[in-house]
Amino acid sequence: MEKSISFSKDGNRKNDTVGTPKHGSNDTADAKTLSESQIPGETEENDINIAEDHPSSESSTSLAQVVDEVDRFLQALSSTVEDESKYPEAPESVEILSTMVDSMITDYNDGKSLIRFGKDPENDSSFVEALNRVSELSNKLGEFPSLASSLNRMSAVLQRAMSFLDEEFRTLLEDWKSEKSKNNEENCNSDRCVLVDQNQQDHQSDQMEDQDQGIPPTFVFSPETVSKLNAIATAMISAGYEAECAMAYSVSRRSAFKSALDDLIGHECFSIDDVQRMHWEPLEGEIATWIAAVKSCSAVLLPNERSLCNAVFSSRPSSSHSLFGDTARAAVIKLLNFAEAMVLTKRSAEKLFKFLDMYETLRDLESSIGNDAGGSYPSEVAAETATVKAWIGAAAASIFCDLENSIKSDNGKTPVASGAVHPLTRYVMNYLKYACEYKDTLEQVFRQTDQEVKDDDDGDYHDHRDRDRESETSPFSRQLSTVMDLLDANLEMKSKLYRDPSLSFIFLMNNGRYIVQKIKGSSEIHQLMGDTWCRKRSSDLRQYHKNYQRETWGKVLQCLGQHDGLQVNGKVSKPVLKERFKSFNAMFDEIHKTQSTWVVSDEQLQSELRVSISAVMIPAYRSFLGRFKQYLDSGRQSEKYIKYQPEDIETLIDELFDGNSTSMARRRT
Amino acid sequence: MRATENQGSFLNRISIRRNQVVSMDGNHEQELEDIELFQKHVADRFSNLLSPSSSSSAESPSDSILSIAWLRKLLDTFLCCEAEFKALLIIGREPSQVSKPPLDRLIPELLDRVVKALDVCNAVTHGVEAVRHCQKLAEIAVSALEQKPIGDGQVRRAKKALNSLIAAVAIEDRDGVGSKSTERAWSFGRRGGSACAGSKDRTAGQFRSLWWGMAKGWSAAKQIQAMSSNLVAPRGAESTGLAHPVYIMSTVVVFVMWALVAAIPCQERTGLVTHFPVPRQLGWAQPIISLQEKIAEEWKKKEKKCSAGVLEEMQRLERLAQSLIEFTDSFQCPAEAERLGEVAAQVAELAETCRRMEEGLVPLQQQIREVFHKVVRTRTEVLNVLDQVGKASTTPTI
Repeated sequence: MEKSISFSKDGNRKNDTVGTPKHGSNDTADAKTLSESQIPGETEENDINIAEDHPSSESSTSLAQVVDEVDRFLQALSSTVEDESKYPEAPESVEILSTMVDSMITDYNDGKSLIRFGKDPENDSSFVEALNRVSELSNKLGEFPSLASSLNRMSAVLQRAMSFLDEEFRTLLEDWKSEKSKNNEENCNSDRCVLVDQNQQDHQSDQMEDQDQGIPPTFVFSPETVSKLNAIATAMISAGYEAECAMAYSVSRRSAFKSALDDLIGHECFSIDDVQRMHWEPLEGEIATWIAAVKSCSAVLLPNERSLCNAVFSSRPSSSHSLFGDTARAAVIKLLNFAEAMVLTKRSAEKLFKFLDMYETLRDLESSIGNDAGGSYPSEVAAETATVKAWIGAAAASIFCDLENSIKSDNGKTPVASGAVHPLTRYVMNYLKYACEYKDTLEQVFRQTDQEVKDDDDGDYHDHRDRDRESETSPFSRQLSTVMDLLDANLEMKSKLYRDPSLSFIFLMNNGRYIVQKIKGSSEIHQLMGDTWCRKRSSDLRQYHKNYQRETWGKVLQCLGQHDGLQVNGKVSKPVLKERFKSFNAMFDEIHKTQSTWVVSDEQLQSELRVSISAVMIPAYRSFLGRFKQYLDSGRQSEKYIKYQPEDIETLIDELFDGNSTSMARRRT
Repeated sequence: MRATENQGSFLNRISIRRNQVVSMDGNHEQELEDIELFQKHVADRFSNLLSPSSSSSAESPSDSILSIAWLRKLLDTFLCCEAEFKALLIIGREPSQVSKPPLDRLIPELLDRVVKALDVCNAVTHGVEAVRHCQKLAEIAVSALEQKPIGDGQVRRAKKALNSLIAAVAIEDRDGVGSKSTERAWSFGRRGGSACAGSKDRTAGQFRSLWWGMAKGWSAAKQIQAMSSNLVAPRGAESTGLAHPVYIMSTVVVFVMWALVAAIPCQERTGLVTHFPVPRQLGWAQPIISLQEKIAEEWKKKEKKCSAGVLEEMQRLERLAQSLIEFTDSFQCPAEAERLGEVAAQVAELAETCRRMEEGLVPLQQQIREVFHKVVRTRTEVLNVLDQVGKASTTPTI
C-alpha cells in the first residue's frame, strides 16, 4: 500500500493543477471537470484499493474514465507543443493509470488468482487499452522536460508490462506441452486445430492422430492461443517492443522446428565427414528418411509455420515476412546439408536411383518454394535449393554416364557358353529399363548438365551442324544412344570370340532379341530411342537370322540341291548317291549334335528359328528323297543310307537350341 | 567479387601460358615458375591481411584483425589461393602426374581435409546466427538508451537485453555450446524457475535452437585438430615439385578454418589448438605464422578471462555491454549530465558496432557459402582427374 499512499500525496499536491487548462480549449476544460469530479483524495485511494483487490467491473469502469481523461490530456499535449513557454502539467489520471497498470500486472503475475493473460478477455482488452495510453504518454511526455518524472514513471510501467507480456508470449508459444497434457487429462480437445486448414473435420483428433497426419504437436495451436499471441504481439509492437517480441517468437519457433525436424530425421544428424564414412546400406535408409522429412517440411511444416506467423503478426506483415523467412532458411539449409553430404560420397551405379529420388524431392521443394504466392521465402533459399539440386543432378548424370565405362571395361576373353545372353546385356538392359522409369527426371538432369557444359564452353566448340542435330533429340536420349551403341559394339566384339560363325550369329541374335524384348517392355526406352532405331534393330535381327541360315544350312542345302554331280553320263551314279546320303547324314547329325546344345532361351525366337530351318530343309530333303530314293535298293541298303524320314528331320530340328547335350544320345538308344 | 576477378585473370594467364609451352620441352621449368608464382601470391595476400592499413586510416579500425571486415578479406584471400591452386594442379596437366607418389597420398589427404573444412563452414554459418542474436540484443539496448531523456523504463529494458547478451557470450565460452547446465542463461529475461514450471526444458530448447546445424558430439576443436594432424611439410626432392603447393594449400585451408573457428562461436571450441607447426624457413609461410601468433594470443586471452569469442565486434559488444550494465546498475532518475555524456558515447560506439555487424554479417555468411561451393566444385574436379587416371590404368582401350 505504500505505493498508493505516496501516490495520493502526490495527487493532492497537484490537485489544483490537474489537466491544467493553459489554453482554454473545450477539451481541456472538460478534462478538468472530469478530473476534478474524480479526484478527491480518498475516493481515489479507494479506487486503487479496489483495483488491486478486485480487478473486476468496478475498476474497469474507473479505468475507462481514466483512459478518457488521459486521452484528453494527450490531445492537450499535442496542441501545446508550439508554445514551449507554457508546459502542461500531468493530471492525476496519468499517475492513476500507471498505478492501475502496475496493479493489473501484479494481478496477472499472482499465481494464486490464476488470472493470466487470456483468461479474461475483457480484462485483457482493458489492459491492452491502458497500455496503449501508457506507451503513447511515454512517447509524448519526452517532449516536455517539466514532465520528466511522469515520463519516468510511464516508461518504467511500460517496461514492466512489456516484460510481463514477453513472458506470457513465450509461455503461450510453448504452451503445446501443457495443452497436450491438459487435453489428455480432460480427454477433450475440441478447440485444437491446425492453422492451415481451419475447417478440418477431425477437430476431435487426439494426439496420436495428429502425429499420423505428420503434424507435430509443436505446430498445433488453438485459435484461442493464436488470438492471444496476436493480441500480445500487436500490443508489444505498438509499444515499440517489436524487437523483443520478434526475438521471443523466433527463438521459440526455431526450437519447435528443430524438435520437429529431429523427430522427422530420427534424432540423428550427420556431419559431412560422417556421411563419407558410412556404408551404402544405412545411407539408403537415411535417404528415405530424408525424403520423407523434406516432403513433410515443404507440404506441412513450412506452410503451417507461415500461417502461424501471419496470424500472430497480422499487424506487421514485414515482421511476419522476415521471421518466417529466417525460420524457413534455417530449416531448408539444414535439410540441404544432408544432400550436400551425399553429393560428396563416392559414386557407384547402385546409387543412381536414390540420387534421382533425391533430385525429384529437391525439384518438388524448389517448385513449392517458387510457387509460394506470398513470396515469403527469402531468395537465397530458392537459390540454395537450386544449387544443391543441380549438384545431385550432376552426380546422377555422372553415375549414369559411368555405365559407359562399365561397358567399355567389360572385355573378358571367354565367350558365354552356348551363345546365350551375356550377363552384361542383362545388366545394362535391366539398369536402363529401371533408369528409364525415371525418364522425365533423367531428361531434366541431362538437360541441366548439358546446359552447364554449353555455358562453360561459351558455345564456341559446337558448330552449327552439331547444334541442329542436338535440337532434334534430347540430351538424355543421346546419352542413351551412346550407351546402346557401346553395348552393340561390345557385343559385336564378344561375338568374334566364337570360333563357329553360326554360334556368333546365334549369340548376336540372342542378345539382340533380349534387347528388343526389353525395349518392347519399356515404352520409355522405345520412345527415347525412336521408331526408326527400333525398326533397325529388328531388321538387324533378321539379318543375323539369314546369316545363320546361310552359314549353317547353306552347305546342307547345297548337298541336297546339286544334282549335277550325281549323274555320270546321264545316269544316276549309285556310289555317288550313296556318298551324298552319307555326307548329308553326317552333316545333319553333326549340326544336330552341336546346335541342340546351343541355347535360344527366347521361346519365340527359338520357334522362329526352327520353323525357318524346317521351311527350307523339309522341302529340300523331301524332294531329294523323292527323286533319288528309287535308285537305292529297298531293304537293307535303303535303311543304311536313308537314315531319316522327313518327319524325323522335323523332329530333330525341333530339338535344336535346347541347350540339351544329351538329346542325341537319348534318341540313339 | 574481387576474388572472382582475380581468379578469372589468373586462370586465363595460366591456361594461355600452358598452351604456349605445352609443345616445347620447357614444361618442367614452366611448372617451377608457376609454383614459385603461387608461393609469392600466397605470401603477398597474407601479408595484406597482416597489415590491414592499406585502405583504412587509424580512425577507422573497421578492418582490424579478426573484425568482420577482416574475416571477409580472409575468405577472399582463401578463394583466390584456392582458384590459383586448382589451376596449378589441373590445367594442362597429364592426369597420371597427379597419381604418382607422393601426390597419390597427399592429394587424397588434402581432399579429406577439404571435406572436414566443409563441416567447419557449416558450423561457422550457424555460429554467425548466434552472433546475430547478440547483435539484436545489443540493438535493443541501443534503441532503449538512445531515448531522451533516459528513464527507469529505458534503463531496465537495456539492462535486460545487455544481461542476456553477456549471458549468451559467457555461455558459449565457459562450457562450450551444447552443454546443458548453462542453457538457461541464453533465454532472454526469464522469470525465476518457480513462476514457470518446466522452464528448464524450454530454455534448453531455445538455446539449442540457435545451433541446430551440427551433429551431436561434433566438435570444432577436434575437427581442426584432425585437419592439422597429418600436415607435414614436404622434404628433400618432394619440396620442389607439386607436393609443395599441395602442402601450401593444405596449410591455407587449415589456417583459414582455424581462424574462423577462433573468431566465430561454434559448436565445441574448448581445447582449440593454438599452434600448428609451419616451418619458419618457408618464405610464403611468414605472414601466416605471424597471423597465427596474433590470433593465438587473442584466443589465449579469451580462454583466460572467460569472455566472448575473439571476433573483434563481439569483444567490443561484450566490453560495452559490461560497462553499460554498470551504468544501469547504478542508475537513478534523473541521471547526472556528465555520466549521461559518457554513456551516450558508449551507446554511440555500440550502435556503430551493431551497424558494422548489420552490414557485414550477412555478406560474411554468404561468403562462407561461396567458399563451401567453390571447395565442393574443386574437389569434384580433382576427383574427376584422379578418376581418369584410375580408368586409364585399369581399362585397356578397346
